[in-house]
Amino acid sequence: MSILRKGRGAAAGLRQDRPKGECQAAYPLRAHPPAHLSRVLRLGLWLLRRERSSGEWRVLLLALLIGVGSVSTTGFLGDRIKRAMSEQGAGFLGADLVVTSPRPIESWPAHALRTSRALEFASMASRGDAFQLATVRAVDAAYPLRGVVRIAERPFEPGSPRPAQPPPGSVYVDQELLALLDAGVGDAVQIGEAQFAIAGVVAEEPGQLGGVFGLAPRVFLRADEVEKTRVLQPGSRLTYLYQFAGEPEETSAFAAALKPVLDNTQRLVGSREGVETLRGAFANADRYLQLTALISLLLSVAAIAIAAHRHALRHYDQAALLRCLGATTTQLRMLYAVQLLTLGLLGSFAGVAIGALMQQALAGLILPDAATRLPALGPAPVGAAVASGLLALAGASLPALLRLVRVPPLRVLRRDLPPLPVGASLSAAVTGSALLGLVAWYAGDATLVAVFVGALAALAGVLALLARLALLVGGAVQRMAHGPLRFGLAQLLRHRFDSTLQLGAFTLALFLVALLALVRSDLVAGWREQLPPDAPNYFLVNIAPHQQEAVAAYLAQHRLQASALYPMVRGRLVSKNGTPIAETLPEASRDSNTLRRELNLTWTTALPANNVVLAGQWHGERRAAEISVESGMAERLGLAVGDELGFQVGDQTLAARITSVRSVKWDSMQPNFFVIFAPGQLDALPASSIASVHVPPDATGVLPGFVKTFPGITLLALDKLIANIEAVFAQIIGAIQLLLGFLLAAGMAVVVATLLASLDARRQEAVLLRTLGAQRAYLARGLWSEFLALGLLAGLLASACAEIAMALIGDRLFELPVRPHPWLWLVLPAAGALLVGMSGWLTTRHITRVPPMQSLRELA
Amino acid sequence: MTPPDSAQFPPRQGDSDPLRAGIRGESYAAVVARGLSQRVPTADGSLAILSEVELAVQAGETLAITGASGSGKSTLLGLLAGLDQPSAGEIVLLGERLGELDEDARARLRAGRIGFVFQSFQLLPALSALENILLPLELTGRADARERAAHWLDRVGLAARAGHTPRQLSGGEQQRVAIARAFATDPEIVFADEPTGNLDADTGARIIELLFELNASAGTTLILVTHDDALAGRCQRRLHLVAGRAHEAVPA
Repeated sequence: MSILRKGRGAAAGLRQDRPKGECQAAYPLRAHPPAHLSRVLRLGLWLLRRERSSGEWRVLLLALLIGVGSVSTTGFLGDRIKRAMSEQGAGFLGADLVVTSPRPIESWPAHALRTSRALEFASMASRGDAFQLATVRAVDAAYPLRGVVRIAERPFEPGSPRPAQPPPGSVYVDQELLALLDAGVGDAVQIGEAQFAIAGVVAEEPGQLGGVFGLAPRVFLRADEVEKTRVLQPGSRLTYLYQFAGEPEETSAFAAALKPVLDNTQRLVGSREGVETLRGAFANADRYLQLTALISLLLSVAAIAIAAHRHALRHYDQAALLRCLGATTTQLRMLYAVQLLTLGLLGSFAGVAIGALMQQALAGLILPDAATRLPALGPAPVGAAVASGLLALAGASLPALLRLVRVPPLRVLRRDLPPLPVGASLSAAVTGSALLGLVAWYAGDATLVAVFVGALAALAGVLALLARLALLVGGAVQRMAHGPLRFGLAQLLRHRFDSTLQLGAFTLALFLVALLALVRSDLVAGWREQLPPDAPNYFLVNIAPHQQEAVAAYLAQHRLQASALYPMVRGRLVSKNGTPIAETLPEASRDSNTLRRELNLTWTTALPANNVVLAGQWHGERRAAEISVESGMAERLGLAVGDELGFQVGDQTLAARITSVRSVKWDSMQPNFFVIFAPGQLDALPASSIASVHVPPDATGVLPGFVKTFPGITLLALDKLIANIEAVFAQIIGAIQLLLGFLLAAGMAVVVATLLASLDARRQEAVLLRTLGAQRAYLARGLWSEFLALGLLAGLLASACAEIAMALIGDRLFELPVRPHPWLWLVLPAAGALLVGMSGWLTTRHITRVPPMQSLRELA
Repeated sequence: MTPPDSAQFPPRQGDSDPLRAGIRGESYAAVVARGLSQRVPTADGSLAILSEVELAVQAGETLAITGASGSGKSTLLGLLAGLDQPSAGEIVLLGERLGELDEDARARLRAGRIGFVFQSFQLLPALSALENILLPLELTGRADARERAAHWLDRVGLAARAGHTPRQLSGGEQQRVAIARAFATDPEIVFADEPTGNLDADTGARIIELLFELNASAGTTLILVTHDDALAGRCQRRLHLVAGRAHEAVPA
């Protein structure tokens, strides 16, 4: 009281001092001090705090929580799975990065990586009268940095993991060398001028399967004992191997710094290139993870958009009152923006926390061995998750917010007044650019972005149309139905716009979940198909021409299935149409590995299994200077049918015209070749042959006999490679199943948000109907029929969309065959009816229970 | 936040506490309307809701706008308060020509200087009684907002209900909170739209008492819309609308 009285007194006092007549026409000026920005922000936070219990923000927060939670779980887990997979690749390579060089490299870019050095050279190994060329790798104590070397006591035993560096004065050797030298573990072998004891058999080593056929058997030697052999002379052919391992960020930074420094005799190999066979699996898994992250994010954006719309709808009165009380549009904008930002940060950080906890639990479950070695989550993925949460929230809710700010103040007197429309193009631009930003961010891959954005845009249009059509059909059904079903369907049709929106949202959620489930099962099936149980598990390398028949007879005798025998000549691609090949390529692709290393060239008349001619014609029996080239190589080097290629084989030069381009299944475990000659071109050159063979697990006893019979033939085991590939697949499949769970949660969030958005209108109607005498059971059955019908329709539409999308992306993105999925048409509608029915009932059931009087009062 | 044409007005003197109109015999027009018309487009062409209304309310006056349902009372109130814009005519509110102000400038003009009482109370459901009164004070940036809000809650006799939300208050109590909110910023004009429309006769009568008592002690200009004769009778002047035309302006 006293405040006011005093204020008025002071005012009167001032008025007395004023000269009369000064403002006859005008009104005395009076303005309150302006509401400072900080005050508006405080007011926004205050209102937010007051409303937290009113539940209006909860939907929004929940949607954000699920969205960011699933995105960060997907992101974190995906990151870890990628790391685990690249560790597998590194295991094949023996390091994260390997640099090979013919000369020692003295200076390196600064790095904090673990390192190991090895020196590789060819040298004769002898014992008594027997001698054999061996590939000696002199290693330090750190070798290998990744993966394992297994040393066995006897040939064909699995052995145990050990450092590759043998004890002083001894070596580890390949089992073939033992056979070739007729030696055993404990015997001595001479290398150069030094004698070494054979301390064990190399059962497994990294890099063993990197496509290095035709190499002489392996000998591991201590790096500090190379001197002793005196085999290294000036001019000796040496390969220095520098291996590096560390954090992915560090290794990639190091690789980037290294690339410009290396000359063209030096080669840099990353763990992703550890083994060609895994490349396809890596690429598919990568894409799949990206896709899943993207879709769960898009679903949560949809949920947020719907929740934000509802929030705005419920705050029109508040906004109108604030405007009436003198808030400007700028102040309102600030007020709601600060609320949104607070909510966004809150939801995003909570979501990240959920994601971090989930991935911790799940990484342990899926990747028990990897989880312990993986470092803690860095700030980068956390920042990315929070930022994408904020971006999603802003993109999804700004249009609603803009509308809220444009509420006419007159609404305080006339509550039916809607806010002024916000330009459709503006909202579309806001949401569209936010979405596009997110898509680009998560997908990274331009094809994926294009396919997805295009598909989603088309989908939105098609869905709107289909939903309308479906509702028309529903109308026909409704006319024939009676009782609560008739009422439920009538409800559906009465709110045509809402129903279209809900149907669209449910369909989208079901469709995306189904799509990923399909891609998953097709991916898995595709992989299984690529690796049939009788896939070859051994390569026979270095089969001399005179041994061919004997080998074939031996295999037949032991009932072992073998591929065709392919003669193999090593040669280098030197020219295209008379021009040196390097000159035909852009600068960037000149250091292609295909040019640097020698290619395994073969000739055959029959197109190998798993090869498909994509262009031109297979040469068949034609004895002409013709070749067939693998499609990837043709693409990398810009080769086409009709080009004439020159090859350097030993001291000879050969020329041949490309008459066909083939696709090759590199992961088929068959001998695969980049270049296949027509017969008659290479026959005169010295060649050994290669074949692959499937040895069933119970027939491995045949192998020692084979090695003894054919001491010169190298037996290369693929078992471990296959086991490793299967382990990677198992991890990927586990991860995928898990991510589908999250996706389902995001889909449910959309459904719940959509239902909540219609809750007010539904409650109002239910109350009215109950007041007019409708029984609770009648209302309940009405709601059930409405939701079941909605879920059923959504399921059917989603099935159709999923089939079409699978046909499109399965073919383009994952190189999987197109096949129909009849079960989908049963499962999706049933799942849709169940999910929508359940969540619809759970969300709305209380509206049939509230006493009409209470509701009428609340609605008043 | 200076009014756009402040140069035409006398500069503010001393502290920022406002000068009050209608004291010591000097008379200012709080609201002036000239040739005010409002038409809305309908399916059958445009419909005149208000036609050629002329009105001047002096500072400190009380005016009742009466008329049957649909006669344009609330529309007139909305126009006078600057919540809407007329199809034709001119309004001068607190010395400002509303036609020259944009939406935001009109909002700034209202801030703290105009109070509202609505038929449907328009309290924010999430806020307590005290906080609802606090809202306009916070919006206008009063330093003593909380004390003022508590003081006004006490003046309408609801000090004991400060923490209650609108849902926990009766209709009469809600309207008292709304009245406290309207007066809390020490406004120059209070617009009231059917303030007793949602209340029973007894409660309505007590609300009228309270409204006029507060109005008299604050010397506020009061413009209210009602079809309640008793309420209209308490006002100094009455403007009766019939089909959008101001028929009489009788001194009470």
